[in-house]
Amino acid sequence: MMVGAFYNPHLGAELAAARNIDHLAMADPPAAGDRHWPAIKQRYTLLLHDYLGQLSEPLDDRAIERARSLAGLYDSPWVAEHFQCLHTEDGTYNLNYVFPPLYTEEFLARFVTNANALKARLDQPLVMENIPGFFDVHASQMPEPVWLRRFFDATGTGFLLDLPHVWLEAHYRGLTPQAWLAEFPLEHVVEVHVAGVEQDRDLEGPWIAPTAPSDAMLDFMAHALTRCPATRAVTFDAFSPSLTADVLFSSVDRIRAAL
Amino acid sequence: MNDRALQDDVIRALADAPYRASAEWRGRGLVDAGKVERFARFLARHFYHERIVHFFKYSRALARVTARWPEAVLRQPGFDALLATAVLGERATAHAVARLVTAYVAGEEVPYHKDLLRYQEAMMVVEAGPRVWRDTGRDDDRPAVVPPPPPPPPPELVEGTELLELEYDLPTVLPQLLQPWTTPPEAPRRATRLIVARSRHGRVAVARASDAIASVVRFADGARTVDDLARAAGLRPGEIAATLRDLTEIGAVRFSTGS
Repeated sequence: MMVGAFYNPHLGAELAAARNIDHLAMADPPAAGDRHWPAIKQRYTLLLHDYLGQLSEPLDDRAIERARSLAGLYDSPWVAEHFQCLHTEDGTYNLNYVFPPLYTEEFLARFVTNANALKARLDQPLVMENIPGFFDVHASQMPEPVWLRRFFDATGTGFLLDLPHVWLEAHYRGLTPQAWLAEFPLEHVVEVHVAGVEQDRDLEGPWIAPTAPSDAMLDFMAHALTRCPATRAVTFDAFSPSLTADVLFSSVDRIRAAL
Repeated sequence: MNDRALQDDVIRALADAPYRASAEWRGRGLVDAGKVERFARFLARHFYHERIVHFFKYSRALARVTARWPEAVLRQPGFDALLATAVLGERATAHAVARLVTAYVAGEEVPYHKDLLRYQEAMMVVEAGPRVWRDTGRDDDRPAVVPPPPPPPPPELVEGTELLELEYDLPTVLPQLLQPWTTPPEAPRRATRLIVARSRHGRVAVARASDAIASVVRFADGARTVDDLARAAGLRPGEIAATLRDLTEIGAVRFSTGS
């Protein structure tokens, strides 16, 4: 099992010298002037975790070529994308933040078709990450875990299970994280994300933050991993200029200790 | 309304505060209005945090001496007041947010501060507006490296393109501001004209604007042909072709094809 983090370029020097991290997820391509990039590339297994597009629509050739190029640059063992639909089809409105689709038959068909098309153009396996909903839209036709199960069964893609996303959804539904997690298709999980949560003033409740995972979150991770037999990597999911080296390294250490 | 259109409606409600408050949206009864309002405010703060940190990075560098961090406005009453009318990504909202930032960080710490704020504000405002997220092959407005012959359709200035007349030569000092320094770097006092434009995919570009560029920007109204434009701007055929090529490459000019 690999234990890693996200590549945060402002911590490039520390990451290039680190010894307790197996892999780095890449949320952005390396900047042209990033002097630590050659050492990072040489030292780590790199996971492509960029914004490639939203699979409610087919990715265009430009986006697919970009994905192929980045996956080749990183020699990534798999390519990650999200279950998201965050801008309108005409491009007028854009949330600039992960946002889930309606869990309907129509969206399932769209995501299955477009994920299969993307998968066919990649040289690496595709994994898809769950996205938290802060509120339910009454037009959804099935629970998120059912929609995800049908998606994975239809595409054969891997599941990138974001545990804080599950934890937050359980919180806002008044469920225990363990009970909500049990609904998800865990046999497809390839990678697990772990992160901290903090109180948000606007949401008047917890949300993902670039902070260390709590003991409760690490216990939840340990519980989840017993139910995800195919997991190959656990990643500390924090990518922010405000993230400190201390939080990053101590979080990875604590994740490793909790496995 | 199909599910994709319904998703667009939800995205619009989250991005567009006046629409969120409208009877049209509220009458749909799709969601818990209180939760959507809280999530929309969270999204707005995130959306403009990313843009302020990116476009006002030079003011952030100067915060070492000013102690005024641009993103601090996101927690001030002025920004909260804007939330009732904000439309994420809209030019008017970008302008209003940028004005809050410039009013907060303005000062006399460096002589070119006023120019710097105008430059950063222009970058943020030009970036706003609808964008093309994916190429469908149906678009006929993609910038051409050279005007399609013959005859070239009338060139027109792309909405939002801005010419900046500055008192100081900012491009010489901008990279230095982002490097380590103990006293802020100086900028030569020299009249400087820049053009700021955005590609249809949302990439903002800035370039020094020659007299030829300034003339073309002034006269490219979508009605004048290339020959008319050359005459109005006082440019020879070779000059107009080169200038139009430069302007289309940065997204400042496109070739009108009528409707």
